[in-house]
Amino acid sequence: MSAEAVHAIIDDIGSLLLFTMILIVAAGQIYRAIYAVAAQSLLIAVAAAVLATATGNSDLWVIAAITLAVKAIVLPWVLHLVVQRMNVRREVEAVIPIAATLALAVVIVVVSFQLSTSLGPVRQAITGNALPVGIALTLTGVLVMATRKTALTQMVGLFASENGIFFTAMAVTQGMPLIIEIGVILDVILAALVMTILVLRVRSTVDADIADLDRLRG
Amino acid sequence: MTGDRPLALVLAEMVLLVLLGPLVTGAIQKMKARLQCRQGAAVLQPYRDLVKLFRKGTVQADTASGFFWLVPVLVLAATVAAGALVPVVRMGPPAFPLGDALMLLGLLSLARFLTAVGALDAGGAFGGMGASREMTVAPLVEPVLMMVVFSTAVVAGTTELGALAGRRGTSWLLMWNAADFLGFAAMLVLLPAETGRIPVDNPDTHLELTMLHEGMLLEHSGPGLGCMLLASHTRQIVTLGLVSALFFPAGPAGGTETAGLLLGASAFAAKIFVLAVYLALVESSYAKLRLFRVPQYLGVGFVCALVALALRIL
Repeated sequence: MSAEAVHAIIDDIGSLLLFTMILIVAAGQIYRAIYAVAAQSLLIAVAAAVLATATGNSDLWVIAAITLAVKAIVLPWVLHLVVQRMNVRREVEAVIPIAATLALAVVIVVVSFQLSTSLGPVRQAITGNALPVGIALTLTGVLVMATRKTALTQMVGLFASENGIFFTAMAVTQGMPLIIEIGVILDVILAALVMTILVLRVRSTVDADIADLDRLRG
Repeated sequence: MTGDRPLALVLAEMVLLVLLGPLVTGAIQKMKARLQCRQGAAVLQPYRDLVKLFRKGTVQADTASGFFWLVPVLVLAATVAAGALVPVVRMGPPAFPLGDALMLLGLLSLARFLTAVGALDAGGAFGGMGASREMTVAPLVEPVLMMVVFSTAVVAGTTELGALAGRRGTSWLLMWNAADFLGFAAMLVLLPAETGRIPVDNPDTHLELTMLHEGMLLEHSGPGLGCMLLASHTRQIVTLGLVSALFFPAGPAGGTETAGLLLGASAFAAKIFVLAVYLALVESSYAKLRLFRVPQYLGVGFVCALVALALRIL
């Protein structure tokens, strides 16, 4: 594949990633957010596959496969399971209105594009718009974590944020060493497991939610 | 002035849009019925309704002013005029000065405004409620539509729809830019709102408190109601035509021979059909949103359009 074609494809995937991020921010129901984050991980896997064919870096194929298996299938499934176990059909609880969060997300996207134009020569070396898209995804993920009350939605935000970092790292370095990528993914799995257990335990013993913990004094 | 589209062609396209409008509505209704495992009314039912209404007499509220009977005619005229601005069978700039996409959106919002004024004029409670709701939703939809238009117009350097579509040529999905995906996503979110369908409005009911557009039509009767219905059919196909001109301008750009025109017409029909299937699927798979949730739904479209514009400019 020619360099321009790869640039174009990564740009397109980047825009679809932003779209899934907007869906996560706007999701009023927890299920929608989970599906959106699964779609986002799927897109990351596709991006890894595209970069793998472009650079001939076989590690990226492995990464694409792991991303697909772990982030696009297993983690959303675990989240789904937790939602079913906790029997929460209720809506995502936001600290500030979701419309305000959306507005903040727009600001984040515009600012990250604006900032990365000032990078100039550095940006030339990076595939397409991957850097601003990655920064925007990461920051918006943090935004989701900061503005939601329930632990599950915060987990979705964490995964989205992690996806952003992953996307940036992949596009900037044309594939990091395999061992680092695997380490990162293991971290994510571990974090998901710990948070899942914590959420279920807290709920089953004291029937409280994360938002109630701010009144906890040691 | 030189251009690819002479006056006769533009007029023919306009008439074609008005004639095909009810067919699109009928097709969507039929698809919805089949998806709900019903037999459904025939595809031509909207035409029969229109014929029936135009034969009937008019009853008017005592409180309505003399302006009231003019409203349906003006609404229909504004919508049909908007139809002239959409390229149908052939791309490229028109041979004479004609409005651009902003004019089109302006005419559509003029029609919307007149509908609301008519509903308020009659003095019915439902009409006033429908008008107030419609006017709540409209400021959320129209700026976003404009932003989507701008995000594609920035590249082409013109807001004239025919020229815009011609500039984009026959580029297909693979040639899409990153911003096109987001702009199209915004458009898909907005499309049900602009055509007055679920999840924003329900076109099938005028017996519920949730109605927006139908509530405004309650006081109209006979030929006036027929005009309003024809206007909403036309508005729908014009909006679909706008989407296909902005995002799928795959049609022959030049050539005066009949083969080219036929090809363009069938390409247009295919595009409209695909969008109609999309609308039918959305209508059958979602519930109507509460009015207070609509801004959040439309907010998704707004954010997508804004990001698309940002991607183009930055």
